[in-house]
Amino acid sequence: MLKVYFGDMKEAIYNTSVYFKNDYEDDWITNPFVKEMIKDVDSSEVMYSGVIDSPVLGKITPTKLSGGVKTLILVKFEADVVFNASTCGDNCSKWLLKIAEEEDRTINLRHIMDFGEGEFLIRILNTGDIVHNMKELTDIAVNFV
Amino acid sequence: MKGKHKVIVQNKRIRYDFELNRNITILQGDSATGKTILIEMIQEYMNQGKASMVDLQCDKKCGVISGSTWQGQLSQFSDSIIFIDEGNSFILSVEFAKEIQKTDNYYVIVTREGLPNLPYSVEEIYGIHSSGKYGHLKKCYQTFYHLYNIQSAEKKYISQNSDY
Repeated sequence: MLKVYFGDMKEAIYNTSVYFKNDYEDDWITNPFVKEMIKDVDSSEVMYSGVIDSPVLGKITPTKLSGGVKTLILVKFEADVVFNASTCGDNCSKWLLKIAEEEDRTINLRHIMDFGEGEFLIRILNTGDIVHNMKELTDIAVNFV
Repeated sequence: MKGKHKVIVQNKRIRYDFELNRNITILQGDSATGKTILIEMIQEYMNQGKASMVDLQCDKKCGVISGSTWQGQLSQFSDSIIFIDEGNSFILSVEFAKEIQKTDNYYVIVTREGLPNLPYSVEEIYGIHSSGKYGHLKKCYQTFYHLYNIQSAEKKYISQNSDY
């Protein structure tokens, strides 16, 4: 399940791009799940571990991926670290839910992310509540962001 | 600084063309729309000038501040447009709010967080929209669009409630 702490969280990594730059591993990039995320969010194709083909920027290194995708990759592979997922746009929200389908993940949100119109399961750590849709989530999150 | 200021930033692959209306503009929206690329291009122009192969057209000096030495960097600018990328937690601080109110700069801040210390208008929160074609060596044209618009929100509210 995805667990979210809303608002300021001291232990969360705030600047995820710097963390990613100094932490990412080549085989993270060629992971099929990650390749799919990069294709969906950045509209880019992973050619091999160090090179990604971007329609706008040409051939880029993983450090030039969007801030949102870099955070998603960290959330996937660094399960014990909490990241500031407000570096992710709403187009990343479905991927956060997918990553947390198999294993629990905790993220920090400093804004109200749109998780879409469908049903989902998210535990809000500020209160301990489990929410199932955006209305339930917003009613609680608005008190913390 | 007062009034509207047009900014054009471009290289061979991408062009940004937008106008700033007030002293604080917030940039947010989906991931991978080019917010960080815009700021990197301005930083490269700031560091290398025309040798960066970035073309920057604006009637005001443009610059970027970041990191823990932001106060020193900020002191070097006046009557300028300052860009700040996400990941810079100083934008949340009271010190930053106080410092920028002493200046005559315009600020473009990339963040999805609320900034309760800063007096900005909801009308000056923008996303970046790509209006060009993607493809090899074809330039991608990026413009700003309003994420929130008070007038359209009011019209929508009135139209939704007109039957009552």
